[in-house]
Amino acid sequence: MTDRSRDVARGGEPAEVRDGSAGLSRRAFLKGAGGVAAAGSVFRAEVEAGRAQAEADAGLEGTVTVEFVLNGTPERVKVEPRTTLLSALRHHLARPATGTKEVCDQGNCGACTVLVDDEPVYACMTLAVKAAGKRVRTVEGLTGTDGLSAVQAEMWAADGMQCGYCTPGFVMSLTACLEKNPEAGPEELRAACSGNLCRCGTYTQVFEAGLAVARAGRKSR
Amino acid sequence: MSFMQEEKRPGKKKIKTTRVVNGLDVEEEVWVDDLEAPLFKPREECRLLGTRMKRVDGPAKLTGAAEYTSDVRLEGMLYAKVLLCPFGRAKVKIDAAPALASKGCVHARQLVDETKYLGQPVAVVAAATPELAEDALRALVVEYEPLPWVLDRGQALAEGAPEVRSRGNLGRPTEDGDAGEVEAAFAQCAVVVEQEYSVPVQHHVCLETHGTVVDYRGGEDAIVYCSTQSTHGIVGDAAESLGLRKAQVRGIVQHMGGGFGSKFGLERAGTLACEISREQKRPVHLMWNREAEFLTSGNRTGAWQRVKAGANKDGRMLAMSSDVERYGGIGGGSHAGLPYLYSVEKSLRKHASVYMHLDTNCAMRAPGHPQASFAMESVVDELAAGLGMDAVEFRKRNLNSPAHLRQLDRVAELIGWNEHPNRTAPGSVDGFEAVGIGFGCSRWGVGGSPVCQVDVRVMNDGSVTAEVGSQDLGTGTRTYLAAIVAEELGRPLDGVQARLGDSRMGNANGSGGSTTTPSLAPAVQDAARQMRGVLSVAAAEHFGCAPEEVVLDPDGARAPGGKLTWLELCALLPPEGASVRGTWQSDLAVSGVACTQAARVRVDLLTGRVKVEKMVCLQECGRPLNRLALESQIRGAMTQALSYALLEERRVDPQLGIALSADLETYKIAGSLEIPEFVALVDDDDLREGVAGVGEPPVIPGAGAIANAVFNACGVRLRHLPLTPDKVLNAIEERKSS
Repeated sequence: MTDRSRDVARGGEPAEVRDGSAGLSRRAFLKGAGGVAAAGSVFRAEVEAGRAQAEADAGLEGTVTVEFVLNGTPERVKVEPRTTLLSALRHHLARPATGTKEVCDQGNCGACTVLVDDEPVYACMTLAVKAAGKRVRTVEGLTGTDGLSAVQAEMWAADGMQCGYCTPGFVMSLTACLEKNPEAGPEELRAACSGNLCRCGTYTQVFEAGLAVARAGRKSR
Repeated sequence: MSFMQEEKRPGKKKIKTTRVVNGLDVEEEVWVDDLEAPLFKPREECRLLGTRMKRVDGPAKLTGAAEYTSDVRLEGMLYAKVLLCPFGRAKVKIDAAPALASKGCVHARQLVDETKYLGQPVAVVAAATPELAEDALRALVVEYEPLPWVLDRGQALAEGAPEVRSRGNLGRPTEDGDAGEVEAAFAQCAVVVEQEYSVPVQHHVCLETHGTVVDYRGGEDAIVYCSTQSTHGIVGDAAESLGLRKAQVRGIVQHMGGGFGSKFGLERAGTLACEISREQKRPVHLMWNREAEFLTSGNRTGAWQRVKAGANKDGRMLAMSSDVERYGGIGGGSHAGLPYLYSVEKSLRKHASVYMHLDTNCAMRAPGHPQASFAMESVVDELAAGLGMDAVEFRKRNLNSPAHLRQLDRVAELIGWNEHPNRTAPGSVDGFEAVGIGFGCSRWGVGGSPVCQVDVRVMNDGSVTAEVGSQDLGTGTRTYLAAIVAEELGRPLDGVQARLGDSRMGNANGSGGSTTTPSLAPAVQDAARQMRGVLSVAAAEHFGCAPEEVVLDPDGARAPGGKLTWLELCALLPPEGASVRGTWQSDLAVSGVACTQAARVRVDLLTGRVKVEKMVCLQECGRPLNRLALESQIRGAMTQALSYALLEERRVDPQLGIALSADLETYKIAGSLEIPEFVALVDDDDLREGVAGVGEPPVIPGAGAIANAVFNACGVRLRHLPLTPDKVLNAIEERKSS
């Protein structure tokens, strides 16, 4: 068994994840990188911090079995404890659920938003083990008329997508917001989407879709 | 004398068509509409084209069913990842053995001995899961010997600076114009402005990173899934990296998560994936991570622009000289040149590239244009202000295109300019906040490519397909592909299945320069019109009438002899159905579209925060195909322009030689709280029959319009993007104290 860092903090502390994945700890880097002055000097960038972490986490070796209910269906997945819910969904399920997207992998963009027991969470910032015994809902699991939920249908009508890569995240954020308050107003909807980024610039249509669902919610009361 | 008897029918011509009679192919001539110009139906007769159509792939994208490259999962697939050099420049020595010995890792190797720019990939690994691949990266033992770098202009041009390229860090300037003439013209000016304007390097921030999944297990065939803007364009590079012939490689691009100009080829991620797959004889999944997407997948050129411009008292621009430095990292950078769009009687310009140890620039949504537009719109505004002239009026005196003149009037009206108090002089910095309005214009060449080949097929059970190996970047390509055919054949939109994103389908150009629509749509229309001819002939034969007497409508086909439902009509076709191939039609593509924008901002005079409240855009696009998608694209362009104006800036620490903005935490793009009221309008005064793409033009003028609005609000001129609160506040304080 070789030395490996066990990044159990992944999902909880993005800064550490980033330091680790650069193959160089931030401390080691800053020490060695004294600007242009450092030019010419040779130094070894070893993952000391990562190694220490791996030793500390020796108890976490191997895999654990996580059971949760995904879109109404019981799922059981064997993952290492460090595995994020996003990775479990996208890579480790027997039938990967790839509707949920990975964009920033550090909680900045909301593309991986899923509902865990009806609460919207960033799946990239949530360990898979945290979902054990819970209900996980993703964009694949929303249902309604013709296979589309009200949010999905209004997103379609308003053209709330372009490239579509952020779209699952927006659908889930709007869904969570409108399930809590079926009559949500424009500011509430905008705030609900403030953790989601779209590069194509479809925000206006997303808000429109949310408002259309809310209007229907008011009418049906 | 037979040619004398050759019948002529206006708007019609004879074509040869193949018909199966008693099981035999019979070629015969039929009358069809003149295919030299297979024009779209008149606008008022269209059921679909020009309306607001929901995109046909909407449900797939909304339910997670749409498969992007990053979503491809294959049996036995390896996950590959790269390590980026954290220094401006370094010599690299890597011991890959520990990585190779780590669990699940099957491939680990060093890529370069010496890096050329900050963030260059130095090693690649492949392992059974993404987590194990990250472990393998951590297990690499890396020795860096940092080398002197240049990461900003000062470092690049300092004496004795390390050379980015052998010919020096300052590229040879290009110059044109007559200095003497320009000097003389300046002497005639009533007002002269001499200022410096800068724009930062901007990132594309594609939400789906650059990446490729290669399905190759040895043998003679490979399928290459790639997040690219050019389905056909990746095949050659993939074949080379896999050691195969082009004909053995199939490129697939079903959906792609944003390109904006940065994804024209297989790119580095793709060639690495192919190389590993070739060695391992296993499928490989290699998507850049977010850091690599920022540091090593191209960017929009930054620029420093020294500009002197003058106008006479009537508001005519007589003279301009400009000196532009382009910052494209190890690339040369791009800049559209000054004067931009506006006519200036005499001008002189000088351009040069300054090279640095940073990732190369590449195409980005109107490459080189937003940079030039920001400087130009600012200068135009400063000259208008110098003369105390209405900014709209000043623009009209210096623009030649009638489209811009009418657009300016309309946009001014929609943004509330005519009631605005600051039309000839800006507001003040006194009080808590100030509201201002600014303008900007652009023009884009568009034009189509003749390479497109679109196949339309009707089966004898009534099913219809339209297919071409192009790609849908999110602009709605699939939707207009289906709509054009449905319109011509009288079918509902969901009666035609559009297929694309497969290099085994008909040729198509890469999606750049807003040319996809004007390239594809004419070829689709050509195919659709041919198919209408084929169906008309089939119906005519059935009814015993002339083909041109047949009308296809939503009920099917009708002719003087009677009616056929769609299913009855298609049942007349042979068992294999009917198939036609359309090619590009120059008459159906327009070149040159004008765009005009206005922005209204609210400046918080105590914090320096600029809030864009409303943006209006009026965009020519020739014949609009799908208004819903067009409006989305125009709003999206304004969103990116707003983001460029207020938030975005690639930052590095030149002393430490490190990246400071290589994630979405530190590199801000516009989010839901920044979005103003958008008025996105297709310019319906553009009555040209051809179509145009509008990916590019509406992204150009927004930043200038916003900066001009800030000046108009409170009289402070911000000449360096992004307009962050610190810069605005400093300028406000400066104006207060002067």
